[in-house]
Amino acid sequence: MRLSFNPEVFDLLGGFKTWLAVMVVLSIVVFITSLVMSLGALGFAGPSQVLMHIFGGIGDLCGTSPRRCWAMTQLTFREAVRRKTLLVFAVFAVLFLFAGWFLSDVTADPDLQVKNYVSFVLRTISWLILPVALLLSCWGLPEDIKARSLHTVVTKPVRRHEIVIGRILGYTAIGVLILGVMSLVGWAWIKRQLPDSMKSQLTARVPVYGALSFISTEGKDVSEAVNVGDENMFRSFIEGNTKARAIWKYSDIDPAQFSGSQGLVLESSFDAFRTYKGKIDKQLLCQYTLVNESKKLRVPLNAFEINEFRRNSYDVLKQNPTLQDVDGKPVELRDLMTGGTLQVEAACLSSAQFLGMARPDLFIRLPDRPFESSFFKCILNIGLMMFMVVVLGVVSGSFLKGPIATVLTGFIVVVGKMAHGFLESLVTGDVSYHNPTVKFQGAGPFGALYRIVTHTTPGIAFDDTFFFRTINALDSMALNVLWAIYKVFPNFESFDTTEYTANAFDVPWAEALLPSLATTFAYCVPWIMVGYFSLRLRELESK
Amino acid sequence: MNNLTSLQRKLLYLGGILLLLIPITMMGMPAEPAQAGNKGSAGGVLAQKRDEFKYGEHDLGNVDPASSTMNLLLLGFRGIATSVLWTEAIEQQRGKDWAGLRATTESIILLQPHFLKVWHFQGWNLAYNVSAEWDGVADRYYWVKEGIKFFKKGRDRNEQYAELYWYVGDTTGKKIGRSDEAVIFRRFFRHDPDEARYGGGPDPFVNPNSRDNYQEAGEWFQQANNTIETFHNEQHIMAPYLFRAYPQRAIFDQAMALQREGEFGEVCRNIWAEGFTAWTTKYGMMDLDCEVLGHPIHLEVSGPELQEMKKDEDAKGKEDWFRQTVWIGKYQDQANYTYWRTRSRVESEKEMSDAHRLLYEGEQALNKADPATALKLYVDGMTKYDKILGEYPQMKNEDETVEEAMLAVMGWQKSLEYLDEEVPEAFPLKDIWDEHPLRRPAVKSEFERRRRAGR
Repeated sequence: MRLSFNPEVFDLLGGFKTWLAVMVVLSIVVFITSLVMSLGALGFAGPSQVLMHIFGGIGDLCGTSPRRCWAMTQLTFREAVRRKTLLVFAVFAVLFLFAGWFLSDVTADPDLQVKNYVSFVLRTISWLILPVALLLSCWGLPEDIKARSLHTVVTKPVRRHEIVIGRILGYTAIGVLILGVMSLVGWAWIKRQLPDSMKSQLTARVPVYGALSFISTEGKDVSEAVNVGDENMFRSFIEGNTKARAIWKYSDIDPAQFSGSQGLVLESSFDAFRTYKGKIDKQLLCQYTLVNESKKLRVPLNAFEINEFRRNSYDVLKQNPTLQDVDGKPVELRDLMTGGTLQVEAACLSSAQFLGMARPDLFIRLPDRPFESSFFKCILNIGLMMFMVVVLGVVSGSFLKGPIATVLTGFIVVVGKMAHGFLESLVTGDVSYHNPTVKFQGAGPFGALYRIVTHTTPGIAFDDTFFFRTINALDSMALNVLWAIYKVFPNFESFDTTEYTANAFDVPWAEALLPSLATTFAYCVPWIMVGYFSLRLRELESK
Repeated sequence: MNNLTSLQRKLLYLGGILLLLIPITMMGMPAEPAQAGNKGSAGGVLAQKRDEFKYGEHDLGNVDPASSTMNLLLLGFRGIATSVLWTEAIEQQRGKDWAGLRATTESIILLQPHFLKVWHFQGWNLAYNVSAEWDGVADRYYWVKEGIKFFKKGRDRNEQYAELYWYVGDTTGKKIGRSDEAVIFRRFFRHDPDEARYGGGPDPFVNPNSRDNYQEAGEWFQQANNTIETFHNEQHIMAPYLFRAYPQRAIFDQAMALQREGEFGEVCRNIWAEGFTAWTTKYGMMDLDCEVLGHPIHLEVSGPELQEMKKDEDAKGKEDWFRQTVWIGKYQDQANYTYWRTRSRVESEKEMSDAHRLLYEGEQALNKADPATALKLYVDGMTKYDKILGEYPQMKNEDETVEEAMLAVMGWQKSLEYLDEEVPEAFPLKDIWDEHPLRRPAVKSEFERRRRAGR
């Protein structure tokens, strides 16, 4: 019940600045391209046409009528219902009627069982709602154009962008209805299906994460500890009974939070790695030391056995009724948190054995929130993803025919959901598993071609000659183009917060919800603009 | 055709459909089992052929409607879906997502229910690889059980194939009885660590009769042999004459496990005696196929019988390749028949169990830092062991005998070292010690391992 990734706080301001810069550059490029193309097509009258459309667009946007948008939304909603969209409930019902047969006896371990149930429900909802949203949104406008029903609409006093917005809102409304029903049924199903003994596992832990650093076996400050040869390099290992330590620094800590019934609870899930079997029936020993550097306070806590892959909950005051520093002087918990910071050092006490840890593996556990908090936040993220698919589908339908729009949208969704990590590895050159420190040299296509032909391994850097400088420059250009393509695909993987909910964590605002909301806004605004201008400039008779 | 009206065309299609239905019905009509007052029917051609060649889903084992439905729903995409699931399972194992891995293995077997290697691979993976990833010994045991349960599920779906019965037996016996955690695992097998669920008793899915793990394993090995006899599907794990020995080998394994745990009394001797009887009367008298000779042979042959056979073969001038005596010898060598026959007889004697007990107690005393007691126990044990091996010299060069003798000598030497005494020139078991100098480093490593583990 732990995370396999590092939850990082989203930099909203930084993201917004980048987005604004990209939008400005993109607008300038589109504007100049339009001017040039219009000059070629219409001669000197072209630029004025371009300007007219731009100002017309701005005027249209300023005169948006919520009433007309609402009318278009209602129309779209009714159309979707008429197209028997709600039949998706039948598939959903069948899946849930029989799911218990397959999931109930997969494993008897409560932690694993709960994880399977929650994952199943959230994945099922996600995989059913996205195709529905995709098909509805991609076929709506093209069908209207084909059936000429849009001709009737455009003769009314309704602006083109209101058609786009109305379509988006209508499909989103039907999607929200489906998603709402599915999530309620799914939530009730989890509650009903799980045996009473496992229901206590349904919770939403609220972690406070710190910044992780290490002290090496020799006592030096390092950013990473020992690699024990684990293929998954997400965790670093500290050696037992040496100077090696893992140090978490927590900031913005309010001592008053820990004075109630739930004191300071440290929860960990470290890996255990043995260089020899040792006492098989005894688990590895770990010890925390609470540190306040400003007051020069060090409070070693009682050691405890690590239960690997389980939640190791450590209530500081219950395990240590009296806190004492290294000289035996009594210390109050609030003394250790002066300045709103707390430092926790973890040490392995078992000789020649190792404990593996990553940043999310030790956190301060605040009072839990109800499971519903995490579950419905996860649903909200699925809803945002659905909204993006709707926007993308409607926009592509505004300039493409139904089948092509479906293929285009489906491709972007599939790449964004399943291959975004792969694209990222192509762009950054970080191709090894969970090891951000290893980067291949010359990861671009020209360098790679040279290496294939000359049988040179990727670990060897190119010499500083004119030839290799040229290769590097070409690679740099190619990678920049690839970077631009990579950024066109929204990262749908980041919308999937199932791992939080299934592992009994609350879905955090700054690490998971905010980036999803920001990504949705960042992509939808330009897409809607594209949709509007496509429909505005489109010759409707050209089916 | 164009001159036909719509109604005529429809009637024509209907006629065609009815015409085609006749051969389809004749070919595909399902078989109907005979019941009271109803003779039943053999079904269409396909049903009869399916029955004749045992190709029906129900012939292979229990039918899982979920599995069949999945395969139908996937149309031709089963291969792709399976590959995706295998990749996912490997990724989940790398990422230590055990819940995901377990769920994915279940999905894989829904798509590949009759692919024995899939059951073998994933069952082994759960029992050996996944269990080793966990640090807690109770957790490790849990995953060994998951492997065994997985194999049992495979057996249910593939009842005709002896391999899956054997895998259940092998994992129940070897993984629980021979791993580093064997002592704890064997205890857990009878008293599951999940007390909340099993109330201090065994997990009924892996040990329904609350038996020793080797007794349970022996039962599964026996079922594997019975399956081959019933369905005539030879297994593809090892040579048949070695495979057939496993039910009896499980008895020896149980006796040896008890000895490793310090049980040398009558119970253990009786198990050895039971093993001797089973080895000589069941396995030894079993008809084992010999393709070259064209008739079965059995391995329990007395000296006079063998002489008689040899005389007969000499008289007929048979070449070695076609001699029954030669093949009996080959089979006996490969199955280690004579060794186990002798050993089970010797081990059931009180003298031998006393020797083992003394050596075991010597090791315990040494680990408790009592070298004086250890020395005395070692000397007594080594003397007794040496005497028995003198009576049964054929056991002297066997691996287990050599290892036990060398471990005893090392323990004895260590006791002398602690007591600051010289190692004498002559000592019991010296002939084995001198004869195997190359084995010493490996045995030394085992000796040190046991010392560290405090065994």
